[in-house]
Amino acid sequence: MQINMVPHPKRSTPGRLGTIITFSLAALAMIYLSYSLPRLLPGDFVTAMYSSSHVTLTAEQEAELRAYYTEEPGFGRYLFKLVRLDWGYSYAFLTPVSELFFGALPWTLLLLGTANVLSMFIGFVTGVEAAWRRDSRLEKGMVGGMTVLEGIPEISTGIILLVVFALKLQWFPAAGAETAYAEVSLLARLATISHHLALPLTTLILSYFPGNFLMTRNSMIMVIKAPFITTAKAKGLPPGRIRYAHAARNALLPLVTRFGLRFAFMITGALVVERIYSYPGLGTLLFNAIQARDLPVVQAVVLISSLIVLAIILGLEFIYRMIDPRIEHAH
Amino acid sequence: MRKQMRGFVCKLFLLVVFVIGIFCSVGPTVLAQVKEIRIADSKGDWGYPNPYRHYPRGPGYIRMSWVFDTLVWKDDKGYIPALARKWTYDPKSLSFTFELQKGVKWHDGRPFSSADVVFTINYFKKHPYLWVPMDDVAGAEAMGKDKVVIKLTKPYAPFLAYIGGVMPILPKHIWENVTDPRKYNDPRAFIGCGPYKFIDFNKAKGTYLYEAFTDYYQGRPRADRLIYIKAGKPLMILSTGKVDLANIKPDMAKPLKKKGLVILVNARGWNKKLMINHKKPPFNDKRFRKALAHAINQQEIIDKAHRGFGSPASFGLLSPDHEFYSTNTPTYVPDPAKARRILESIGYAGGTDGFYTKDGQPLKIEILASNITVAGESVADRDGEVIKRQLEAVGIHVDLVNMEQATTDGRVIKWDFDLAISGHGGLLGDARILNRMIMPKVTGSVNSARFGANKELLKLLKAQIAEMDITRRKNIVCKIQEIYADELPAISLYYPASMAAYNPKKGIKWYYTVGGISLGIPIAQNKMSLVK
Repeated sequence: MQINMVPHPKRSTPGRLGTIITFSLAALAMIYLSYSLPRLLPGDFVTAMYSSSHVTLTAEQEAELRAYYTEEPGFGRYLFKLVRLDWGYSYAFLTPVSELFFGALPWTLLLLGTANVLSMFIGFVTGVEAAWRRDSRLEKGMVGGMTVLEGIPEISTGIILLVVFALKLQWFPAAGAETAYAEVSLLARLATISHHLALPLTTLILSYFPGNFLMTRNSMIMVIKAPFITTAKAKGLPPGRIRYAHAARNALLPLVTRFGLRFAFMITGALVVERIYSYPGLGTLLFNAIQARDLPVVQAVVLISSLIVLAIILGLEFIYRMIDPRIEHAH
Repeated sequence: MRKQMRGFVCKLFLLVVFVIGIFCSVGPTVLAQVKEIRIADSKGDWGYPNPYRHYPRGPGYIRMSWVFDTLVWKDDKGYIPALARKWTYDPKSLSFTFELQKGVKWHDGRPFSSADVVFTINYFKKHPYLWVPMDDVAGAEAMGKDKVVIKLTKPYAPFLAYIGGVMPILPKHIWENVTDPRKYNDPRAFIGCGPYKFIDFNKAKGTYLYEAFTDYYQGRPRADRLIYIKAGKPLMILSTGKVDLANIKPDMAKPLKKKGLVILVNARGWNKKLMINHKKPPFNDKRFRKALAHAINQQEIIDKAHRGFGSPASFGLLSPDHEFYSTNTPTYVPDPAKARRILESIGYAGGTDGFYTKDGQPLKIEILASNITVAGESVADRDGEVIKRQLEAVGIHVDLVNMEQATTDGRVIKWDFDLAISGHGGLLGDARILNRMIMPKVTGSVNSARFGANKELLKLLKAQIAEMDITRRKNIVCKIQEIYADELPAISLYYPASMAAYNPKKGIKWYYTVGGISLGIPIAQNKMSLVK
């Protein structure tokens, strides 16, 4: 019997262009939502700032403040300003929103980025090793333990760590990202930043890592049953190479998705942990801005977080193709 | 020669011993210089510390007060000189004369003078600073370099409390060319003549750094650096020595005291209160409001929602600790049976489900809960639950609604509510607080009753502001409290126990200011603690 081998057509450039156009349209829709949704919040900046303040306003003063702080640029102008990288001025600080955003971003990246990378790495390696040792006591114990850990919310882990390691043992600081205005050398400053990072980072790792472990282990179990693994074993390849170069690579796909989505939600993802440890990040910035109805800040943070989600999903599209070339040819 | 030399060395040694002896003997009275003081609060960010950019709440004003001085100030005993060393009032010319301190410098080294005071008053008239009402100030005139006369349009009793002791003096040479003070974003916008120079505010971290102004006219401040940090766990940061001063919750007092910290307890100057929409039925009927007052058990709220930390509030708004408090203020003992009788007397009848009805309509009301508490902090609401149960016990069906604070505030301001829980301080400060919390023309506050139905009350409120004689003013203020408690446009519920703790090892004594700092801020961070 002759089999006609029909080559898969390589995905055309217009196909990729189509993906990019689709994502661009989605980005435009998100820009519109980030412009319009925060405006639907009840209350405004003047109400939030002055309603239970130490000063009492007359009608004229209130009207004057409202006129001063209410900005109605219209969507067209908002879009035009965005293109010029002008995110507007914060009502509360009367400083550029970009300054606030980039002031908080490094702390979020440090905390969330490190937590995501570490929890992915640890989850991946332990997941692969557990799946390889399937039905062993160690694997069963790990699955049980991780299932329990997965069920414990960040807020509980955070408070337990805080009470034990900050209050009782006093090994780590209870709040902040570093000792404020400490007059120390750069090296000592890095040490104090790491010291302050320890508890929030551990909280997030304990929260993210069990999911990564369980997902990798499950994917891996499916993969190691595949015939190509038997072939690899029969060829006498070293077990480490079989595990990581052959099996784990194929089990990586769902973990990459999870990593991407976790990263996409980094702005709001660590809000609870940032609040518990008074850690300065984008989550806290957004929380405070919503409380104060500081619309330019809310709009900017919502917009940037939405665009990050989009960019990461777009990036994942391409990463999938690198990890698993079959996707390139999938229809 | 050797003998002479030996004799000289001996004398020198004796002289050194003598000098050291003198220093040791005066040692305990010389206050040691402290390297830095760290203060924490849970919010951190209170805006930039200048008059136009700090948030309009107590912690924002306090952060500014380290940088800018006022004419007079208050400490733990009462008014004390600040930029003015003496002041007098002349009733004939309706003017206050202030004799200013000599040798005062701004943080940039320029000399301070009466021209700066005159400039500040004119500037605040043109660009209002909302903490300082200038309506009753006609103008100011410099009488030489060290004297200034401030003229009033009419007698104004709270002048010191609301202007002299609150108004930060601005440097003329910096602000005279500033046309939009809110947007003035130059480092020079933070040059004052207060005890501390503003160095940094980190918005992301909610931290502030100040440095001692060594040329301060009242002497070098006690701590070289003053740092504010954001931290929501006062028990931990105080007990681990990370900060020197923080507001605490009452149940933290015991463990912190055990660790050697000093606990400060504030007088009753901040109240949680029940706002009533007296513009709509049935709340526009005074009898209904009285029924509410009898239905509410203040002590039960304190016991159940606050583990007993607090005390019942006066129905006349001013604190019982205030010098103008009226002992004749009507009170409403908790009496559900009496509340029911009042409701029945105004036409309500018991329904089958235990709740009252009138004209076939059930007596159903909504309460907006609130998370605000003393010193700009927030706390999960439990008061609403207790009040709901108390009102339902007398036959009023209650929907308790707990929304995000700005949403609640927006509804109260627009009169889109039935009852709303709120709270404010200033009850130990000047009695002008009564005008702010009662007068109908106030628009932007969720705490003001905005009540204009009783003409006599309005007349008395206007009269107390203009009464310069303290005894006569006290009589008027007492009468106001009595009418207010009878009308009940809002119901004061309780004074939460308000506490702070500090580390005494640094030798700094913190205290709560008499009547609160400035307009009555109930926070134990008086700058005089680091000055004298």
